[in-house]
Amino acid sequence: MRLPPAVRWDAIVIGADVNGLVAAHYLARAGRRVLVVDGWEKADTRPDVGWVPPQIVRELGLGGLKIEHPDPWIAAPLEGGGRLELWRDVAKSAESIRRVSPGDAAKWPEFCARMRRLAGVLEALYVRPAPDVETREIGELLRMAGLGLHVRRLGKQTVIDLLRILPMSIAELLDDWFENDTLKGVLGAAGVWHLRQGPRAGGTAFNFLHHHVGSPAGVFRPPRSTLAAALAAMPGVEVRRGTEPAVVAVGGRATGVRIGGDEFSAAVVVSSANPQQTFEPLKAQLDAEFVRAVGNIKMRACVVRGSSGGNGSRAPLCVAPSLDYLERAYDDAKYGRPSAQPYVEAVGGGTELHVQYAATVDAGLAARVATALGVSTDQVTLEAPNGHLYHGELTLDQILFMRPVPGWSRYRTPIEALYLCGPGTHPGGGIAGAAGRNAARVILKET
Amino acid sequence: MPHPPPGTYDAIVIGGGHNGLVTAAYLARAGKKVLVLEKRPRVGGAAVTEEIFPGFKFTMFSYVVSLLRPEIIRDLDLPRHGLHVLPLESTVTPMENGDYLAAWGDHDETRRELCRHSPRDAEAYDEYGRLMHHMAHAVRPILGMVPPDPTSFDPRDLLALLRLGKHFRGLGAERLHALVKLMTMSSADFLDEWFETDVLKATKSASGIIGTFLGPRSPGTAYVLLHHYMGELDGVFRAWGFAKGGTGAVSEAIASAARGFGAEIRCDAPVARVLVKGGRATGVALENGDEFSAKVVVSGLDPRRTFLQLLEERELPADFVSDIKRFKFRGSSGKVNVALDALPSFTCMPGVGRQHRGAFSISPSLEYVERAYDDAKYGEFSRRPYMDIVFPSMIDPGMAPPGKHVMSVFVQYAPYNLNGGWNDTKREAFGDAVINTIESFAPGLKSHILHRQVLTPADIERITGLTEGNIFQGELALHQLFFMRPAAGWAKFRTPVRAYYQCGAGTHPGGGIMGASGRLAALAILGDGA
Repeated sequence: MRLPPAVRWDAIVIGADVNGLVAAHYLARAGRRVLVVDGWEKADTRPDVGWVPPQIVRELGLGGLKIEHPDPWIAAPLEGGGRLELWRDVAKSAESIRRVSPGDAAKWPEFCARMRRLAGVLEALYVRPAPDVETREIGELLRMAGLGLHVRRLGKQTVIDLLRILPMSIAELLDDWFENDTLKGVLGAAGVWHLRQGPRAGGTAFNFLHHHVGSPAGVFRPPRSTLAAALAAMPGVEVRRGTEPAVVAVGGRATGVRIGGDEFSAAVVVSSANPQQTFEPLKAQLDAEFVRAVGNIKMRACVVRGSSGGNGSRAPLCVAPSLDYLERAYDDAKYGRPSAQPYVEAVGGGTELHVQYAATVDAGLAARVATALGVSTDQVTLEAPNGHLYHGELTLDQILFMRPVPGWSRYRTPIEALYLCGPGTHPGGGIAGAAGRNAARVILKET
Repeated sequence: MPHPPPGTYDAIVIGGGHNGLVTAAYLARAGKKVLVLEKRPRVGGAAVTEEIFPGFKFTMFSYVVSLLRPEIIRDLDLPRHGLHVLPLESTVTPMENGDYLAAWGDHDETRRELCRHSPRDAEAYDEYGRLMHHMAHAVRPILGMVPPDPTSFDPRDLLALLRLGKHFRGLGAERLHALVKLMTMSSADFLDEWFETDVLKATKSASGIIGTFLGPRSPGTAYVLLHHYMGELDGVFRAWGFAKGGTGAVSEAIASAARGFGAEIRCDAPVARVLVKGGRATGVALENGDEFSAKVVVSGLDPRRTFLQLLEERELPADFVSDIKRFKFRGSSGKVNVALDALPSFTCMPGVGRQHRGAFSISPSLEYVERAYDDAKYGEFSRRPYMDIVFPSMIDPGMAPPGKHVMSVFVQYAPYNLNGGWNDTKREAFGDAVINTIESFAPGLKSHILHRQVLTPADIERITGLTEGNIFQGELALHQLFFMRPAAGWAKFRTPVRAYYQCGAGTHPGGGIMGASGRLAALAILGDGA
């Protein structure tokens, strides 16, 4: 459909991904005329990985949305043959762990409960804009005090856990609890997801909890849904695909979006694209400090995705046999090489692969992935990463009020009428739609 | 206060390290009858000067001074007790290509030198220096503060937390953000935002790894960078310095001040355990069976020894015991002390000159330092380690016989938990790796070596008692700082045993010859009306 450029939209959203679509639908629901533009010809049909906050399901009327966890949620080959399988049922997982380590099995329920409590704190933080530590506004101060009280009411142990665990490395956390390498490998992998850090890096325990958000106790992989597809099928917003859009701004104010030769004007532009990409054409209108801060966002690509053809396994298969294995895989990345022995996870019977660490697909990678999975090389198809999936690694210096850049965590930007709503903003990638919803609520309040 | 009967004390301090001595001095200064018990023949703990080879004196473990709190120097009048700090003015980093990077005492000269490598970095250097100076200022009040308990509902704790929040907000947005970055980033990532010259980043990042089991690319090292910046603050010590007579002279000065206030110090008096009656510390028993009683017992030892060695586990709450058990030490530094018949000449800056009055940093590139860490990560000592080399005899000629020299080499990494464990063969192999690496930057060094002493973390533990040879009495990791040091809820120098206190670097604010823990502990004890 060809849209007449003369129309002035209330809002144009760049990016038909989960966050862009969530933001668009919240704006549309409030009566705004919304256009969503996306450079990709076709929608990404892969499932959306990450917690879908229940508020989104409720408020956008997505009652029929399927949010799933495979069960067992992970299987890992054991050194002496057989597999370690972990289930939604905590007791059933403990049974499975008992075969490799009775000690670890005994600690499993307590570990799951403690991690679940901490993930709950993150969930409360994620459905609102990040606390504004610089605020002088009484409302925001009260909100922060409320949050503090909420956490303290969870008990002394939770407060200590939060302070102690968030800055830790996932390796230290797991070494505190468990002895079995296979178990620690499976859990440790979640701590380095989409991070160019190894499991011994501080802050990976936070990354582990971030990816536990939205899952029941004892499940340490994010849920999967078809949120983007469901939103794309929902009426209320126009979606236009196929040509890379760019923000147009005049005198420090966004006026619309350029798509190819056409310019579409809008009262508000909302971008779920990578902040570096979003601001690239606007540099001349931004101050040098801000440009430098955006340039400093760490978003080092480290995950290659692909498929391996059907391997018949219903349970996702995790190849990360120990924390040392993960650490060595990272060592290669540290010196700019793809991992000689990468961490590989195959979900959906091999229809989706997560390969870490690799910034590009080199000649031998497919063979190395095939070896890890025990399939033949020609079954493995890999695609080079298109930048960092989360538009910014979830390291401790790039979360909450530091995301995407310090001082600009509230979806607003130095360009008037331009907002961000992508995974590069709070609460980041791996959470489906929370940034979009938070951003839309800010926009509706401010414009 | 009634005078205690003879043979009993107001306070007994276990361990005559610099923090224990500072606590003793402050308590004695307040009129308390204090006894310090040190297991070794001399005071100082890890801050000792010893004549290891006839005529050659070494600051055996630690080697530079900069962090000692100025209020301690003032309160205890340490210069009068012999403390004299001589400046260590330069740092030269030899590079693999034969070039070097130097930072001199003279600011303009350093700037010209940086310009040679990168005009952009020379520009950024001043701005970076200003930021770090401000950051150190921002953190300084925290060094002098008893950490509040974030889990408590006591109004005093809540108030202190609020005040802390206010302090940080008062910094303003820009500095607050910089502080968050410093607390969480890796030193390499932090420096990447400022500089482009690799050797500059490598040398700067090296101070972020000292005493840690982390590499320059590990998050958390930027904080250690800041920790080491504190020393560059005060008028007293403008830069890293070297105490005349070695770091042992610092300990001796504090001990002399303590004695001057009436404290009694006994060496060769190893404490076996703390006597506890009804949940209250009543005194100590020495290894030889002698017992001393006191109203208050203070341990300057690290948390593991303070709680798990000097006490019975049953005297402590179970969750506290498990917190202390998982407190991380993981010593990673070694020390090589060398007696020389002449100074070595470095290829990058041939001859002998003013460069020998400063430090040589063996940190030619970030990758070099990171690879040194990789070895340690998997349980080996670094084949080509990071080293900080000083020649104390060039600053204080009294350290070596006329015409001869001593070389002090601080080395990282040497993991405490070496694969297969440390033994004599491994120790010498480690010493060889150190000497061979220096030789590659200063050919001919080996021919000048008269004696060498190699100290691994296992040796440091054996000699000083520092658990796992960690020079900071516990890693300076984010989850082991401030109100988490050594355990949440027990960061106020008190312990679960009444009248038993902790004053070592295993408490806030941590290691370095800083003395802050010792001072804060003394103030806490006096505040409790002991």
